[in-house]
Amino acid sequence: MRTYLAKRLLLIVPTLLGVASLVFVIMRVIPGDVALLILGGDQAGQIDKAQLAALHRQLGLDQPLLVQFGTWLWGVLRLDFGTSLWTGRPVTEELLIRLPLSLELAILATIISVLLAIPFGLLAGVRQDTWVDYLVRVISIGGLAIPSFWVGILVILFLVIYFGWGPPLEFTPPWVDPWKNFQQMVWPVVTVGYRYAAVTTRMTRSTVLEVLREDYIRTAWAKGLRERAVVVRHALKNAMLPVITLIGTEFAFLIGGLVVTETVFTLNGVGRFVVDAVAHRDYPVVQALVFLIALCFVIVNLLIDLTYAWFDPRIRFQ
Amino acid sequence: MTTGVRCLPRLFTVGAFALLVASVVVAGGSTALQAAETPRRGGVLLAVIGADPPSLDPHQESTFANIELVAPLYSTLLQIDPYDYPKIIGDVAIDWKIAPDGSSYTFKIRQGIRFHDGSPLTAGDVKATYDKIVFPPPGVRSVRKKAYTAIERIEAPDPATVVFKLKFPSASLLANLASPWNVIFPKKYLDQDPNYFKTHVMGSGPFKFKNYTRGSTFEGERNPDYFVKDRPYLDGYKFFISPETSVRAAAIRSGRAYIEFRDLPNAEVDAIRKQLGDKVTVQETPMTGQWGIAINNTVKPFSDVRVRKALALGIDRPTMSKVLYQLTGLRLIGGLMRPGSEWAMPEADLEKLPGFGRDVEKNRSEARRLLADAGYPSGLKVTLKNRNVKLPYQDFAVFLIQEWRKIGVEVTHRPLETAAWFSDGQDTGNFELIVAPTVEFMDDPDQFLGRYATGSTQNWGRFSNPLIDDLFSRQARALDPHERKRLINELEKVVVENAYYIPGLWWTRNLVHWTKVKNYVAPPNHYTNQKLQDVWLSED
Repeated sequence: MRTYLAKRLLLIVPTLLGVASLVFVIMRVIPGDVALLILGGDQAGQIDKAQLAALHRQLGLDQPLLVQFGTWLWGVLRLDFGTSLWTGRPVTEELLIRLPLSLELAILATIISVLLAIPFGLLAGVRQDTWVDYLVRVISIGGLAIPSFWVGILVILFLVIYFGWGPPLEFTPPWVDPWKNFQQMVWPVVTVGYRYAAVTTRMTRSTVLEVLREDYIRTAWAKGLRERAVVVRHALKNAMLPVITLIGTEFAFLIGGLVVTETVFTLNGVGRFVVDAVAHRDYPVVQALVFLIALCFVIVNLLIDLTYAWFDPRIRFQ
Repeated sequence: MTTGVRCLPRLFTVGAFALLVASVVVAGGSTALQAAETPRRGGVLLAVIGADPPSLDPHQESTFANIELVAPLYSTLLQIDPYDYPKIIGDVAIDWKIAPDGSSYTFKIRQGIRFHDGSPLTAGDVKATYDKIVFPPPGVRSVRKKAYTAIERIEAPDPATVVFKLKFPSASLLANLASPWNVIFPKKYLDQDPNYFKTHVMGSGPFKFKNYTRGSTFEGERNPDYFVKDRPYLDGYKFFISPETSVRAAAIRSGRAYIEFRDLPNAEVDAIRKQLGDKVTVQETPMTGQWGIAINNTVKPFSDVRVRKALALGIDRPTMSKVLYQLTGLRLIGGLMRPGSEWAMPEADLEKLPGFGRDVEKNRSEARRLLADAGYPSGLKVTLKNRNVKLPYQDFAVFLIQEWRKIGVEVTHRPLETAAWFSDGQDTGNFELIVAPTVEFMDDPDQFLGRYATGSTQNWGRFSNPLIDDLFSRQARALDPHERKRLINELEKVVVENAYYIPGLWWTRNLVHWTKVKNYVAPPNHYTNQKLQDVWLSED
C-alpha cells in the first residue's frame, strides 16, 4: 500500500508539470496581450510602441518564453504564484478572497447531491420500472438537461417577482454571519446541487441495477436474507465505486467550473476569476489557477483510488 | 480679463442647456421637486455596476467601472454642474480668469481643503496632478493627454494660485479642465511613485475609501472633514459588482441595490417599472456616445471611396433607430457631434450626406450603382470585426449585416473578446470593418473629432486628409462659437461625404433608481455627476 501511495504521489509531479506547460503554451499562442489591454483601456486606439515595449519590460514579458516559464515554475516551488499582471496584487492574495466561497459551494452542493442521489438512485434501481423509478428518472433527466445557470435565473426571478426579495449580493463567510451566509448560499447550492444530484442519481441507479444482477446477490437472496441486508450490505457497497469516482471528479470541477452560476448569483468565486484572467491575458493568474485546479483533481482522484480499497477488499490485496 | 463664469455663455449656448433639460424624462416626480425637498442625513447608497476597474487611477482609465467607483473620493479643479449639464462650475477652484488673448488661465484654489490623510490641498497638488496628466513621465499612461496639447506649462506661484500657460488659445480647455477623470492627487504620493494611485486611493472628496474586494464590492464612507459644509448627506456608498445585466436588474427589483448608474435595456426597465411602480424613477437622457463603423482605408476595396460610400448609403437609419432603441438604447440619428447638442449639424444639412437621405430605396440603388462602378456589380464579401459584448455591440452589428445584404454586401461577423479586439483588430489595423464606439464625458468637439485627424491614435480607419487636419486645428483654436460650429460642421461633412467613418446611432441612457434616492440628476453620460455629494436617501 505504501509503495502504491508513493508511486501515486510521485506521478503527481509530471502530471502537474504537463498541465503547467500546456497552459503556458496555450496562453501564449492565443491572440491578445495584457499590456495592450492595460494601455488600451476601452477605446484608446493604437498604442504608442515605445510605451508598449516599456510595459512589456516592466511586466517581464520581454523575456524569452523559457525564462518566463522557468521563473514562474521556480516561484511555484517556493509556493509563490507571482503577481497578477492586471491588478498588480499577489495571486495568492486574490485567490484567498475567492477560495472560501468556491469551497463552501462545492462542499455543500456535494452534500446535497450525496444525500439526494444515493437513496433515490438506490430506490429507483431496486424498484425498477415502478412509478418511483419513473419519477426519479424524470426529475434526474430534468436536472441533466436543464443548464444550472438557467435554473438559477429562474430561481432569482421567481423570488424577485413573487416575493420582492433577492439573495444578498455580497458573500459573508459562515463564521461571520451564518444566517446571511445561508440566505446567499442556499440558492446556488440548491441549483448546482440539483444538477450534481441528477448526474449522481443516474449513475447510482444504473450501477445498482448492474450489481443486482450479479451471482452473489442471487446467492444472498437464496440464503434468505432480508431485502434491506441484500440491498444495503451487499449491493450498495459494491455499486458505490463508479459513484464515488463521479462524486470526486464533480467536486473538483465545482471548484473552478461554475463560471455562469457564479455570475448569476453574484458569487465572487474561482470560476469567474479564471475566466476574467483569461480575458485579460493575465498569465500568472491563469497558470496558477489551472495549476491549482489540476492539483485539486489529482488529489481528489488519489483519494478516490484510496477509498476504492476500503470499499473493495480485492483492491487492497492487489 | 474675463472671469470664467461670465465667459461660459460664450462657450455653451443657453439653447443647448434648455434642449437637454427638456429631454430629461423623469417618471414619478421631477428632479426640481426633489431638490426642493428637505435633505435627510444618513444611510448608505447601494448601487450595482457591471465591471471591476482595470486600475483605480482615473487619469489612466477610460471606463465607467473606474470613475463611478472612485469619483466620490476625489475633488477636481472644475466640474460640470451636477444640476445643469454642461455648465462648468468650480470644485477646488473658487474663481478663474482667462487672459483676453486666451494665452493663460489663472485659478484661485479654495483654502482649507484637506486630503483624507489630513494634509492640506494646495496649488502644488493641482500642478503635480496636471503635470502628470499633460506631461506624463515615462511608464505612466495618460489617456486624455491629447486634449491638453495647447498647454505649454503649469505654474503654482503660491499655494492658492495655479496658472496654465498656453501655446495657443484653446476653445475646449475650460471644458477639459472640468473633466471628472482629472481628480487631484496629493503631490507627495506622486513624487514617490506616479503609478501609486493605480492601486491606492487618497483624495479630498466627500467620501473616504473604505474597502474594495475585487469582483464583489467597493465602499466609501462619509468624509466628516469635507470642505463643503454639511455635505455629504449619505453615511457612505457601496457598489456591488456584477457583470450580468439581468442580475443587476434583479438587484434593483429586489431592493438589494437602489441605483444602476450606467444603463439598463428597455425590457428590464419596463419590468422594473411594472413591478415597483412609483417606488422607482427612470431618468432617460441622451448620451454623449455613438456607435459607428470604422473602415480600414488602407486596404482594398475600402481604399476606394465608392465602396465606402456604398456601405454608408446601405443603412436604413430610421428603421435602425426604431429596432435598436428597444434592444440597446441606440436611438438618435446624427453626424459626428451629438444631435441636440449645440455643435450638431442642422438636420437639413445632415440629410444631404450619404446614408442620411430620407428616401431609403433611392439610397440603396445609389449604393448598388457605386459598387458596380467600383467593379463589384454582384456585390462583395467583407468581414466585420466586433467586440463580443452583446449590449450594444453585437445587436448593432447584426442589424447592419442584414442591411448591407440588401445592397449585395455579404458580411462575416467576427465577434472577438476584448483582448483580441485590440490585438487582432483596432491596434494592428488587421481588419476591414470594425465596430467603433465613441463615448466622452461631454459634447466637446476636440474630444469627439480628434480621432479623424492624421496620425491620431484613435484614427482606427487610418485615413489622412489635410483638409480635416486643418479644420480640426482651426476649430480647436476658434474662440467664437459660431465660427467654431461652422468649421466643425465642415469637418463632419468631409468625413461623412468621403465615408472615412460611418456614423451609426447615438446612445440614450436609461437610469433607473429607487425614488428614495434623491438629488441625482442624470447627465447625458455616466462619467460626470458621480461625486454623490448632494445625493440623499429619503429612507433606508
